[in-house]
Amino acid sequence: MLEIKGLAVSYGATTALAGVALHVEAQEAVCVVGPNGAGKSTLMAAIAGGVSPRAGSITYEGKPILGMRPENIARQGISLVPEGRHVFGTLTVEENLFIGTYAMADRRHAAADAEMLLGYFPRLKERWRQPAGRLSGGEQQMLVIARALMTRPRLLLVDEPSLGLAPKIVDTVYETLLSLRRERQLTLLINEQSSERMLRFSDRIYVIRNGRILLHGRTEELRDGEAIARAYFGFDDKADAALEAAP
Amino acid sequence: MINLIQTLIDALALGSLYALAALGIGLLFGILRLINFSYGDLITLGAYALIVPSADAVANMFIGNWPAALMIVAVCLIVVIAALLSDALVFSHIRRAEPSTLMIASFAVSYVIQNGILMVYGARPKSANLWSDLSYQITFGELHIPLLQIVTIAATLVLMAGLTLLLKRTSLGIQMRAAAEDFKMARYLGVRGNMVIGLAFALSGVLAAVAALLLLTQTGSLSQTMGTPLMLFAFIATVVGGMGSLLGAAAGGFAVAFASVFLQAYLPEEFRPFRDSFVFAIVILMLLFRPSGLIPTKALVERV
Repeated sequence: MLEIKGLAVSYGATTALAGVALHVEAQEAVCVVGPNGAGKSTLMAAIAGGVSPRAGSITYEGKPILGMRPENIARQGISLVPEGRHVFGTLTVEENLFIGTYAMADRRHAAADAEMLLGYFPRLKERWRQPAGRLSGGEQQMLVIARALMTRPRLLLVDEPSLGLAPKIVDTVYETLLSLRRERQLTLLINEQSSERMLRFSDRIYVIRNGRILLHGRTEELRDGEAIARAYFGFDDKADAALEAAP
Repeated sequence: MINLIQTLIDALALGSLYALAALGIGLLFGILRLINFSYGDLITLGAYALIVPSADAVANMFIGNWPAALMIVAVCLIVVIAALLSDALVFSHIRRAEPSTLMIASFAVSYVIQNGILMVYGARPKSANLWSDLSYQITFGELHIPLLQIVTIAATLVLMAGLTLLLKRTSLGIQMRAAAEDFKMARYLGVRGNMVIGLAFALSGVLAAVAALLLLTQTGSLSQTMGTPLMLFAFIATVVGGMGSLLGAAAGGFAVAFASVFLQAYLPEEFRPFRDSFVFAIVILMLLFRPSGLIPTKALVERV
């Protein structure tokens, strides 16, 4: 469904991503894990059209999307839930939720979709006409996920859903995402720092550090977590050698 | 008492003009982080659009002779097109630039428009009579109110109500507010960046056109820098009101006008020539003690 090859992104002289290859199949839940500053958020922004890569290719459902504007990538069926939530604080919960359907002038399903999503996130219904800036952190996270889903994406990119949230709320968020995957045939690409959750919820895992993919595989094969820890913390000689050898 | 009411109405009328211009500046700042110093020249352009292009000293009305409704629409169209052109030719090419770069580019646009007007219309100020009926004074007892002041206040109220309805109730308006708060996030959700920016330029053009008509009716003279003082006060109004907040821009416009008109009325005679210095002193105090403005906005976080 999504195929990334040789992706390189720089911010000025700083390299954020180098030679990243990654693929996601339809209805998979794929986790990208790595320490702060590894390039996880840059990867998602690049897929969603928010940063311009220096090299590489991104294909979505067989169609090259690299270089497209973010608003057009959204129209292809990719939706990004960025890190740090980004609710429109002065807009009401309702306005936040419908912004994508307004933008894409696709209101056929909007009411029914909102109804369905409010079933998952009943708290939002109670806050319907309040400015989104007044919601708690957990409620804001629910709002941005619901808001992203209102555009009916087939691929949902979620950047660090657990950042700054109580563990119990994070579990709710993950359970909701996974049941949406079943019911709406949603494909998930999730950035995560917590390896425990990632092992519980994902089909496949990529470990990224210093802008490079150091390890990837099926979650059940990486179950013991040792290889992940080695790649994540940089105790893996092979991975380090790969890093050193890279230009 | 009569004096006070008279002064209040003066302040309201001046405040309306400032608020119109401040809203035009605030709209662009909200979405683009563009402090548009060419805004005053759009106002000037709107006024010059009324006359036959020539370097003659006498202004011959052209569009200015059309029926009022048609004239307003025509001037709005001309200024909107000029505003959209300034985006297409200049600002759209430096979308990712720093706000300071955008501002300097707007100075360049300002010089181009001013010199364009100089070339076509000549350098001499011209007198032009627009809607001279509006100088008629309505008398309530001892109170004399020029019709123009009432029209200015009414036009501003109508435009502000229209803008509010557009921003609060329409799908386009909600997209604009979202983009003003977090441009990138709005685009991730499908909001078309160029459409929203174009709309902001167009709306600011409409506000400039109406300000131009009211200003020309009031002053009766055309010069290639006529819009600049209004733009400066409107800019101060947006700073006082809180950059990025439209409500703040309007409130700031009225606040600056009230300060200015009341100082004019109540300062001791010998200080009155320095009225503007007092206004600016108030602005400086304001910046020292309430730097985020009367109505601060959260949307001011830098766009990444």
